[in-house]
Amino acid sequence: MSVADRASPRRLVALALLLAATICAPLAAAPLHVDQVAPGVYVHIGQHKDFEEGYDGDIANIGFIVGAEAVAVIDTGGSWAVGMALKEALRAITQLPVRYVVNTHGHPDHVFGNAAFLHADGASEQPQFIGHARLSHALAARRDTYLRNLARQLGDGAANSVVVAPTQAVPDRLTLDLGHRKLALTAWPGAHTDHDLTVFDGATGTLWSGDLLFIERTPSIDGDVTGWLAATQQLKKLPAAVVIPGHGPVTRDKNRALARQADYLTTLLRDVRASIRRGDTMTATMTTAAASERTRWQLFDVVNRRNVNALYPLLEWE
Amino acid sequence: MQNRLSGARCRYCLVAVAALALLACPIAATAQAAADPWPALQQAYFPGKTLVPASFIHVTAPTRAASGDQVPFAFSIDHPMTATNYIKKVTVLVDANPVPVTGVFHFKPESGKAELATRIRFDTDSPVHVVAEASDGKLYVGTVTVKASGGCGGSVAGDDPAVMAAAGKMKMALAGPPNVGGINKARLLIRHPMYTGLQRDLTTNGFRPAYFIEQVSVSYNGKPVLVADTSIGISENPTLEFGFVADRPGALAVVLQDNTGATFRQALDVGG
Repeated sequence: MSVADRASPRRLVALALLLAATICAPLAAAPLHVDQVAPGVYVHIGQHKDFEEGYDGDIANIGFIVGAEAVAVIDTGGSWAVGMALKEALRAITQLPVRYVVNTHGHPDHVFGNAAFLHADGASEQPQFIGHARLSHALAARRDTYLRNLARQLGDGAANSVVVAPTQAVPDRLTLDLGHRKLALTAWPGAHTDHDLTVFDGATGTLWSGDLLFIERTPSIDGDVTGWLAATQQLKKLPAAVVIPGHGPVTRDKNRALARQADYLTTLLRDVRASIRRGDTMTATMTTAAASERTRWQLFDVVNRRNVNALYPLLEWE
Repeated sequence: MQNRLSGARCRYCLVAVAALALLACPIAATAQAAADPWPALQQAYFPGKTLVPASFIHVTAPTRAASGDQVPFAFSIDHPMTATNYIKKVTVLVDANPVPVTGVFHFKPESGKAELATRIRFDTDSPVHVVAEASDGKLYVGTVTVKASGGCGGSVAGDDPAVMAAAGKMKMALAGPPNVGGINKARLLIRHPMYTGLQRDLTTNGFRPAYFIEQVSVSYNGKPVLVADTSIGISENPTLEFGFVADRPGALAVVLQDNTGATFRQALDVGG
């Protein structure tokens, strides 16, 4: 059946809109690759790319957990297009409704895909968008900057990416029921950010750590480094068989990964403090601090510089 | 790409459909190459003057800043600083910022050298122009370009009452041992949020009013060595590193004034 045979104006408009969707969002056509890392737990592993070099919105670990009655999506990627591709992957696995969209924190590589899970028709029931009690504030405060940066980084690939405000806040703990499967959400004090949230799936012992744990990719600090070190100690005590970090491969050896991250954070903190005591400038400190960790991490130079840039002005006042 | 167009019998229809599709496509906010703001800035701040590009103006800033909030920035001007021939005023402009004039720094022969290191804000990628005025009225210019973003708007960080209570606190120390009879370098840290007036205030849904240090006056034994007219382009918790000549032991004194008229003082004994 060719177009010309049935080319009524209404069909043409519908076709135009379909084409528009494919032109504007080429990523949405192909489902994202996901791995089942535990029964019913699906993860897409993001790539280690920086925000300034070849960023495509697909750098964070995102995915979903399927219960008997419903699905919870956990982080949605760095653009509407990435979120759509995640939804495609989800729909290839289950037709159960997405009842919850959980954000582990508000960084753009984790939240801009939320828009893909809003129902444009208004008729379907919207999922709950869930985050730490301070997520709402963090997103509102940074919305303009995030949107502007995204347009600069992705160009047309930023289309339809909007900031979706959380509809449910977690002040400390919350349990989500997906039907014969409960997820325990925990809101953390200041660490990677001031609004980190973890998800624990009791059925499989899987911990979704968000950016409280980085593997391979240099940990980036947007919160409180001493708080993050404290959170690292707390995470060591959790009985998790499988951990999905915010970035990097899924691990079954959580404590080794946490120890490695703690090494970096401790070294960075010690070196920046020593630089300030010696009277080294911030610029000089950017190249010297935590240099002993350089070969152990990816994207080290660019992320470590940013960390020094964030830490040095704070530690000057200790 | 997947669609249902089998057969190509109606090329005109396809063209029309494709055109409609393009029209329906939301136009992403791609950065347009804006006109260079520098000629207009130069005309506004130095009307009718010739600015001579000068290799003796050394400007230090990262090519790509790690953060637009706190970009390390310094200038150092190799020029005599005698009673009759010295650099008296240096204007720092970040061309693409909402308020381009970031600071105007007034020097004296007693400054020892017209140089300064601080941290400044960049809202987006921008050239920085450092315009130096000599005591004979001649103007010189040096420039670098920095890639950075996000420094002027965005969030209001921190706990407000604590931030306000701490505003105006200072720490000052010499960078190195005291050099009586020569040039010393002092490092001044100031606690201050430097609210730009462009940051969202989430409790009022509007913008947090601008609140910033507008002048830093430094004197040694009562004689001025540096007056810095500072603007919202100076980063939160400002740092200033500057030189001064200590002809004899004495006291380095700082007076800050913010845009509400409040003043804050700090002093440091040198030598003796």
